[in-house]
Amino acid sequence: MMVTGEAQPGAPAPLAPPAARAVDLVKTYGKGDAAVRALDGVNVEFERARFTAVMGPSGSGKSTLMHCMAGLDAPTSGRSFVGDVEIGTLDDSGLTRMRRDRIGFVFQSFNLVPTLTAAENIELPADLAGQKVDPSWFDFLVDQLAIRDRLSHRPNELSGGQQQRVACARALIGRPDLIFADEPTGNLDSNSSAEMLTFMKRSVTDFGQSIVMVTHDPRGAAFADRVVFLADGKVVGELIAPTADSVLEQMKQLSA
Amino acid sequence: MWKATIKGLLAHKLRLALTGLAIVLGVTFVSGTLVLTDTLKNTFNTLFGQVYQNIDFEVRATAAFSQGGQAVRKPIPQSIAATVASVPGVQYVSGVVEGYAQLVSPQGKAIGSGGAPNIGLSFDPNPQLSALRLVAGTGPTTPNEVVIDQGTADKYGFSLGERIRILLSGPPKVFTITGIAKFGTANNLAGATIAAFDLPTAQQLFSEVGRLDAIEVLAKPGVDKAQLQHAIATVLPAGVQVVTGQTVANEQSNAINQALSFFSTALLVFAFISLFVGAFTIFNTFSILVGQRTRELALLRILGANRRQIFRSVLVEATILGLVASLVGLGLGVLTAIGLEALLKGFGITLPTGPLVFESSTVVAALVVGVGVTVVSAISPARRAVRIPPIAAMADYRGSEEESSRRRIIVGCVLGLAGVVALAVGLGKPAIQLVGVGAVAIFIAVGMLAPLVARPMSSVIGRPLANSVAGKLGRENSMRSPRRTAQTASALMVGLALVSTMAVFGASLSKSATSSVDEAVDADYIVTTSGLAGFSTSVAATAAAVAGVTAVSSVYGGEFEFEKSVTSLTGVSPAEVGQTVILRVASGTGSAALASGELLVDTTTANSDHLRVGSLVPVTFAETGRQTMRIGGIYKPNALLGSYAVGDGFFRAHFNDPLPLAVLIRTSAAASAAGEAAIVAALHAYPNLTIQTQAQFEKSQQKSVDTLLGLVYVLLALAILIALIGIVNTLMLSVFERTHEIGLLRAVGMRRRQVRAMIRSEAVILSVFGAVIGIVVGTGLGVAFSDSLSNQGITDIVVPYSSLVVFVVIAALLGLAAATWPARRAAKLDVLAAIAAE
Repeated sequence: MMVTGEAQPGAPAPLAPPAARAVDLVKTYGKGDAAVRALDGVNVEFERARFTAVMGPSGSGKSTLMHCMAGLDAPTSGRSFVGDVEIGTLDDSGLTRMRRDRIGFVFQSFNLVPTLTAAENIELPADLAGQKVDPSWFDFLVDQLAIRDRLSHRPNELSGGQQQRVACARALIGRPDLIFADEPTGNLDSNSSAEMLTFMKRSVTDFGQSIVMVTHDPRGAAFADRVVFLADGKVVGELIAPTADSVLEQMKQLSA
Repeated sequence: MWKATIKGLLAHKLRLALTGLAIVLGVTFVSGTLVLTDTLKNTFNTLFGQVYQNIDFEVRATAAFSQGGQAVRKPIPQSIAATVASVPGVQYVSGVVEGYAQLVSPQGKAIGSGGAPNIGLSFDPNPQLSALRLVAGTGPTTPNEVVIDQGTADKYGFSLGERIRILLSGPPKVFTITGIAKFGTANNLAGATIAAFDLPTAQQLFSEVGRLDAIEVLAKPGVDKAQLQHAIATVLPAGVQVVTGQTVANEQSNAINQALSFFSTALLVFAFISLFVGAFTIFNTFSILVGQRTRELALLRILGANRRQIFRSVLVEATILGLVASLVGLGLGVLTAIGLEALLKGFGITLPTGPLVFESSTVVAALVVGVGVTVVSAISPARRAVRIPPIAAMADYRGSEEESSRRRIIVGCVLGLAGVVALAVGLGKPAIQLVGVGAVAIFIAVGMLAPLVARPMSSVIGRPLANSVAGKLGRENSMRSPRRTAQTASALMVGLALVSTMAVFGASLSKSATSSVDEAVDADYIVTTSGLAGFSTSVAATAAAVAGVTAVSSVYGGEFEFEKSVTSLTGVSPAEVGQTVILRVASGTGSAALASGELLVDTTTANSDHLRVGSLVPVTFAETGRQTMRIGGIYKPNALLGSYAVGDGFFRAHFNDPLPLAVLIRTSAAASAAGEAAIVAALHAYPNLTIQTQAQFEKSQQKSVDTLLGLVYVLLALAILIALIGIVNTLMLSVFERTHEIGLLRAVGMRRRQVRAMIRSEAVILSVFGAVIGIVVGTGLGVAFSDSLSNQGITDIVVPYSSLVVFVVIAALLGLAAATWPARRAAKLDVLAAIAAE
């Protein structure tokens, strides 16, 4: 049984802090009457070596939550942590270094650099850090994702599924503490989606990767270890070891 | 990171080429100018080195004062030659005199190209000493013989034994050609004609009987040169010096180098104008590219690129672009220099041939300027790139521009004000560099503020086009991004601002030239010549003998030193001044003061130097030295007389054999064709003269202003061309950016023709917008510039409205031309692929 929420007082201290957590996170857009409260006091923790899905209807604030927790957007109030580092205390270069060294990203629209080959795209974060990639880890990922024969191709010569697998390799190459995946299967057909999600799940179980995935697809969410539900900028529930049916059921209750 | 930058560059070769073209053209201009002037300098240095290589010393008068780097000296007594010859160690001495001698072609035309002088020389038979090297025939030995330069002989087909008429300071004379000579190793000295006579003849022709301009000295072999120079110096009277041949060669080449520097500076100013316009183009292109790559740059930020890496990636792109463009420009510059040299030869300016000089400093200058301009122009776009937040990579991100636009307005206003202040101070002083800085600041400020008016102005300009759907869409497109519209138009704005400045200045100059002649001269006919040297003193007497001529006044001009500064002095005939010159005396007397050898100054000078009638002022003449003159009268400013005037008798007494620059003729009847014909016939012997009525003279003055203006327009055309390349580039980028949108329009039924019309409408609106702003700014600058020169004779300020309207029309047509390629490209887009593109 997983324990979620705030650590219980008096309980033995965990070996390591959660991969990421948010405390009373609030984000408002606009001012006055036009103000929209995209996040309305969110408290959530994402455990290490777990695959967590964040679900919710459109406008529930799931993307905003991810942006704030990944340091891409600044919350109006509240705090968020990656590991034990509070994001709000970091300046731009600190944030940049944190994104580069500790976080991986996978996007709905793949977001590969069009002028670089697949291999160069995978190496890009290391390249930016002025480091070399670990060749055995590179080979391992490339084989696992079955993109070895596509390495010298440019993104426009790859299928959507291939592009997303390249993006996935790019996210994993630096062994980040946490991967944020924003609707990673949104632009993929069902076969490619299933392949992608299976791989993500394997990376969690086989080599302890922590992943947070924003999605609106119940079948996708079913691959996760845990699903956090968001509505109107608040956490409204969660499921451990979800199935597509249980997720769908929960979603129905939310929209009811 | 470098990989991403370089691959990004290589992926857009066309974009690279178009953007780089602006820099290529500017650098070509810069390096071409430098190579050409270095080559010319080297050639002349070598030539003078050869000419003086055998001469050990030159004895000459010390300089009375120097004017524009050229020392003004008086002749020395011929007896000094014998004194110097008797100094032990001297092997040979040769007296030299120099004066005006203009050759007349077999067809009866006066020979002379451009402003090149017509040199008359004494010829020394000693081949070691003379600058002239005989290539055919013999030297002149009798008063009727002459040696001429090979350049002239070749061009006009003169051969040995032939007779040639020569115009001199006295009446023209006919000589027999006994020899043809080279100047050093050159056929002649950059188009200057040479006529050499034996020494006594030359002395008589140049009014220097018993006197010499210089003495060339040859030392005996093995003599200690320093000791000999000292020995010669001790026998010379005061005011005469001895210098080495090397010194003279250096002086000669320095004088030429100075003239060449003026020429190269003038060309470089236009080269920098082109580069400045190019900078606007590059700034605009990089701004658009950063805008188009917002998502890519934000992605790099997400993946861990820090701000410095983003900044550097944009600047590295600019550096590579600048480097490649500069190298190409450098290569083209060398070719241009070769072309220009050929062009000069085509104009009859025979230059001594020498190897093309490619100094390493040219390479450095080209690279520094080319790379520098590109990188500096890319700094602001790079800073914008740095400000892109990582979250901009998200599909639903929408940025705001409000903050930077407020900052831009404030910076633009401050910069504009600073520019106006710098310009005003610079024009008042006058300090030309400050004027340049001010103008640059104003242009940048206008570029920054132009987005404010881009939307309403595009709307107004585009209204006539809005009848068709295509025109309407083009107008909408130009209004949708006011900042881009303004930035694209600003390069053209700068170009047209400069063109309009020149148009206003030229029109004012032209008008002022006419009215200043009207207010200065009251003659029926004006006799002038094209060269700067003047013409024979006998012209006035010949003209005076023509029936019906009532008054003839020769006008002399020369330099003298007044209160420690060298300035121009005019000499006119006191008796005739009242009938030919409009002399408005403010105080003192006019003609009477001139006749009694007193100095006249104009009211401007009198006020600024606190001079009054009766003031005694120290002056220095090269010929007669220091003396004190009494101010006899003060006159209202007069363009002919300038600031200082004396009587012609006084002038001739204090200058060595001066030549009149003009002769003013008054007749009993008004100017008529018959009267003119009679004067022309009487002056038939002087083919170098131009005889015009006052109206014709004014017209020809205007024409020379127009010619100068035409030349400036041609030089500015390159800047306009660069601005147009900028428009082509922007339209191409816009078409690329709107691929999806254009595909959509095509899918719902827009025809290719309409797509082309849409792009063309946008281009016309862009160009007219740039032209209108440029013309407004340029007219302001032109008026300010002309106004500041009111003391220099620009008395009327004219805004040539019709020319300005023509500029707008031309700009619109150029815009249409610039749209051709982008429009074709847009029309060719594959509808399906365009819709699929994101």
